[in-house]
Amino acid sequence: MHLRLVSGVVASILLSAGAPFVLGDGALRLWTEALLILTMAQMWNLLAGYAGLVSFGHQVFVAAGAYALFLAAEALNVSPYWVLPLAPLAAAFLAALVALPLFRLRDAYFSIGIWVFSEIVATLVTKSSLTGATAGLPLKTSSLMDLDWFEPTLFWIASVLALAATAGLLLLMRSEFGLGIMSVRDNDVAAMSVGVDVQRNRLIVFVISAAGCGAAGAVNFLSNLYLSPASAFDVSWVVNMMFIVVIGGIGTLEGPIIGTLLFFALREIVTGQLGLSGGWYLVALGSVAVGTMLWSPRGLWPALSARWGLRFMSVERKAPRLALQDKPNND
Amino acid sequence: MAWIETVVNGLLLGGLYGLIGIGLALVFGVMRVVDGAQGEFMVMAAFFAVIVLAAAPDLHPLIIFGLAILFSFCVGYVYQSWIVNRSMQSSDPLAPLLLTFGVSIILRSVMVEVFGADLRGLQLGSLSRASIAIFNINIGVMPLLTLATSIALFLLLQWMLKRTSFGRIIRATADRRDIVRLFGVKPDRVYACVMAMSVALSAIAGLFLAARASFTPFSGVERLLIAFEVVVLGGIGSFWGPLIGGLALGVTQLVGLKWDPNAGLLYCHLLFFIMILIRPSGLVASRS
Repeated sequence: MHLRLVSGVVASILLSAGAPFVLGDGALRLWTEALLILTMAQMWNLLAGYAGLVSFGHQVFVAAGAYALFLAAEALNVSPYWVLPLAPLAAAFLAALVALPLFRLRDAYFSIGIWVFSEIVATLVTKSSLTGATAGLPLKTSSLMDLDWFEPTLFWIASVLALAATAGLLLLMRSEFGLGIMSVRDNDVAAMSVGVDVQRNRLIVFVISAAGCGAAGAVNFLSNLYLSPASAFDVSWVVNMMFIVVIGGIGTLEGPIIGTLLFFALREIVTGQLGLSGGWYLVALGSVAVGTMLWSPRGLWPALSARWGLRFMSVERKAPRLALQDKPNND
Repeated sequence: MAWIETVVNGLLLGGLYGLIGIGLALVFGVMRVVDGAQGEFMVMAAFFAVIVLAAAPDLHPLIIFGLAILFSFCVGYVYQSWIVNRSMQSSDPLAPLLLTFGVSIILRSVMVEVFGADLRGLQLGSLSRASIAIFNINIGVMPLLTLATSIALFLLLQWMLKRTSFGRIIRATADRRDIVRLFGVKPDRVYACVMAMSVALSAIAGLFLAARASFTPFSGVERLLIAFEVVVLGGIGSFWGPLIGGLALGVTQLVGLKWDPNAGLLYCHLLFFIMILIRPSGLVASRS
């Protein structure tokens, strides 16, 4: 088990270390974007698929990370790479701050409450001259970076984030803490009765999820060298996370990977190969979402793994099979 | 006096918000489905009316409205019975949510591709811009009609749900969809009727929006959050709540804008945020 995990991680590291020397500039940029979206999707998946909290407001953490990076780089006058660790910290801090009021809300109320919170922060940021108001912020210290290695470095950072998100989730969910989280999702009253601290578990997961989105958001805008409130607080961030996770298979680790690949393959085929406008890409994406929800409501990965018996990063725990029972319960 | 005028106009805007929220509240109250495509149905009805008006300019506005509402009713019925009902069979509430968001993206993008993203309006002659003066306050006829219609529709819906046998069937299905089957009720068909009514209500909101101001294919999604706020503020499952929630948000928006012109919806969102923190179950207690 651990051997497989370690070999998987080592293989991924070797692959991503070599990739910039093989791929062209365009492909490298595309993969960087895909890995960042995958990181965000895994973070949304952690919260929705494992802790049962469906967020419509994760764009606020993407923006928090990005603004922290841009403001800190300017204030300290250092290379943006050095202040990158501040991005997840800022997002985590914001999440911890807002968790207290938001956790009083249940289900759909939580989803809408966090979306409204994100809109409030977006309006305040857009109104404040400190954060560049509607015009946004340029990356003032971009000249301190080695621009020859800019694209490969970002790709490597994105790889590390995506790998950390996926492998970290795998380890987390196989730990005692992960079991506690999943028990809260499945039945919070029962979880409480066996001594799981529901609010504490939710808070930790929420903060981790926000931190991951903050880091990925910061790297995304670092690659643009420019940050505008309209794109940072864009609700498409969370819509994309949700589409990728739910189409791929919520509550699985493989699902978001499949979802991300499908998401970008669709975009490249419709806008690149077929040469259609972005509008038709959205139509295709919506159709895939509708089709998946009609024919395989649990997502693509659970359907595939049930059909071919595939499992790579399963976090399911199956009860020992009874001698008399013929069919194992796959659910 | 200017402030009173702002409050009155806020109430009139609130009538529109209430109308947008009521369809969502109905669907959520009966089926527990958050319908992300409600805003697009609103815009679709407006486009339908614009097309009909262009094809037959002599038709009376009421006939055009009637046709658009009938069209939306049929669209809602088909939407629920062909698509949403199938995804409601899974136990995960995220499946119908993503499904409706998918439908919303498809409808919106197709409308952008077909009609373009330009501002459009539904020109109903002098009615669109007409206004009357009461106590020196200028009140638009169209906004006034919106508020009156939305109060009338709330009353009608309340009466139907409380007093008619169809209303009883809807409430029974909302409570126990498994038990009503024993009495010969087909839950899927009830859901289809409820969705049809809900889409028709959104259509009315869309028509009023198009007639009093202008719209683009994005007008629906831009109002989706405020529609959610209306529903949550009003208390999910309560039927008067959305109107009260809508009025509160309408007044807050216009008073806020007068006080702080580039605030956008900030004060609406703040009001919503503070309210749900004080009363997490909405202004009007939920009776689901």
